[in-house]
Amino acid sequence: MTIPGFILRNALRNKRRLTLTVLSVALSLFLFTVLQTALRELSQPQVTEQSALRLITRHKVSLASVLPLKYQSRIARVPGVKRVSRLTWFGGIYIDESNFFAQFGCDANALFDILTEVTTDPEQVAAFKKEKTACMVGIKTMNRFGWKVGQKITLRGTIYPANLELTIRGVYHGGIDETNLFFHHEYLDEATGWRVVGCYWIQAANADAVADIIQRVDAMFSSSAAETKTETERAFQLTFLSWFGNVKLLIGSICTVIVFTMMLVTASTMSMAIRERTREIAVLKALGYNGGQIFGLILAESFALALVGGLIGCVGTWFLAQNVDMYVLSHGFFVKFEVTPHIVSAGLLIATAMGVVSCLAPAVASVRASVLDGLRELD
Amino acid sequence: MDQAIVQIRELSKLYRHGDIEVVALNSISLDIGRGEFVALMGPSGSGKSTLLHIIAGIDRPTSGRCVVEGTDVSELGETALAAWRKQHVGFVFQTFNLIPVLTAFENVELPLLLTGLSGRERRDHVEAALELVGLADRMKHLPRQLSGGQEQRVAIARALVTDPTLLVADEPTGNLDAHSAAEVLGLLQTLNSAAGKTVVMVTHDPKAAAHAKRMVHLEKGELLNGGGS
Ligand SMILES: Nc1ncnc2c1ncn2[C@@H]1O[C@H](COP(=O)(O)OP(=O)(O)O)[C@@H](O)[C@H]1O
Ligand SMILES: [Mg+2]
Repeated sequence: MTIPGFILRNALRNKRRLTLTVLSVALSLFLFTVLQTALRELSQPQVTEQSALRLITRHKVSLASVLPLKYQSRIARVPGVKRVSRLTWFGGIYIDESNFFAQFGCDANALFDILTEVTTDPEQVAAFKKEKTACMVGIKTMNRFGWKVGQKITLRGTIYPANLELTIRGVYHGGIDETNLFFHHEYLDEATGWRVVGCYWIQAANADAVADIIQRVDAMFSSSAAETKTETERAFQLTFLSWFGNVKLLIGSICTVIVFTMMLVTASTMSMAIRERTREIAVLKALGYNGGQIFGLILAESFALALVGGLIGCVGTWFLAQNVDMYVLSHGFFVKFEVTPHIVSAGLLIATAMGVVSCLAPAVASVRASVLDGLRELD
Repeated sequence: MDQAIVQIRELSKLYRHGDIEVVALNSISLDIGRGEFVALMGPSGSGKSTLLHIIAGIDRPTSGRCVVEGTDVSELGETALAAWRKQHVGFVFQTFNLIPVLTAFENVELPLLLTGLSGRERRDHVEAALELVGLADRMKHLPRQLSGGQEQRVAIARALVTDPTLLVADEPTGNLDAHSAAEVLGLLQTLNSAAGKTVVMVTHDPKAAAHAKRMVHLEKGELLNGGGS
């Protein structure tokens, strides 16, 4: 027998209790890693290679403030900018307020050159480009309302004093968001008589240019009446998720509770395990084991228990990520569900740290107890 | 008696419970020579165990000195004391105190785990110790598969395996039937006479004490006739 062998024997004494404890740790860590993965997917939503090249320039003060139309040509001349389109949030109502979906006025000619990851029918796109009152709609919104290509719909303006009467000329599939509706910005300009733009949608020539464009565009308008804030499309989307902070907080608190529960479970197991061995620990001391060695034995047992539980939990999460299509399961909410090494190691670190922390109090107590006190303990 | 292996001088142990003071040992002086087999006798509560615990380095005196092989045990810190115990003392308990989940072999191996010995050396030592107590054929048995007498013999092997100078036993036959008790006492006697181990045994049973070479009587924490037998 070796020291690790002895620790193993001790751990395996009460197999049912051990199993339950390891499983609780495993389950806790499973939940923890799943939630952390979900949190990560939420914080880094759905970036594609193309979307990483897209930037949004908006009014520095607020999203509700608009930008002058003349900015477009100036942005287009910034080095590294490949294309720029207007992108204006219409915020219209289709029949009823509950039928919410996003509608954008844009440059019809540039739209699908910028939004490269979606699939469209070239004929439909051509038809869309030709007709000022045409629109393109994401497949999800098409299905939601049972719309057909060629159908006419009316969007009642809330921000803009205009009702848009649009004809659906095409459908797009794929991409980050399959719920949007795009229409000609010119139609909005005519309907309102205003010549303003909500945002500019920039396509960078390559990834290296992105940081430079952000800096140059904002510098260019820094002394204008309408100062701008340029950011990646991803960062921009996150500002929309106003609920995101709360979700993050919620997930964070759930994770804290999970970690705490995990600690309580290991702590109760270890303190039971140590208490029922009080006499044996005293015997070990009488045989010449010193406090540090006793402490080490207890710590190693608790550590191993937490580590095994943690590993099982992580394997479970990995298995879930490998075998379950989270995209389908979450109705498209999660495009990917990637359990990163970072999340796994953080989880294992927490589990083992909890294993160590949870046995500290009983371990210290049993190290401090005198041999005689321990020997007097009845079995 | 040649050179004393245990020298006890004016050793006292007091227990205080609030205002009440219990004198467990009252200014005891006693020498135990190398190779002796001493039986500490006396009625219950006379301080036998307390004295044995101090000699074995698991308790500390309130005053006085207890020098074992030149070391004043009461001056050592906890860690040093543990190391000292490992090297010098083999402990045999009334209730055997084997680890229930370990085999006889593994129980005996326990004190050797923290030494620098290789697995092979450990095995040789453990086998020799179990051979000595006559249980070489029970090495793979768990404590619950052994009789009380066999358990106590495994415990004696565990006490012996580090080759300590001093073997201390607190009522080693207290939980055994007459037959097993005789076996265990015979074994202690053999270890003393053949292997030259110094044995200090606490007992209140005169029949058990008869196996010792010398008897020391305690009463109310004091030695009767100055420790002579
Ligand atoms: N931890 C303790 N607290 C208080 N009194 C104790 C303690 N341990 C022993 N005693 C007292 O010391 C005396 C001697 O005890 P002990 O050495 O165990 O006697 P024996 O082994 O001869 O039966 C007894 O009166 C006992 O009650
Ligand atoms: Mg006693």
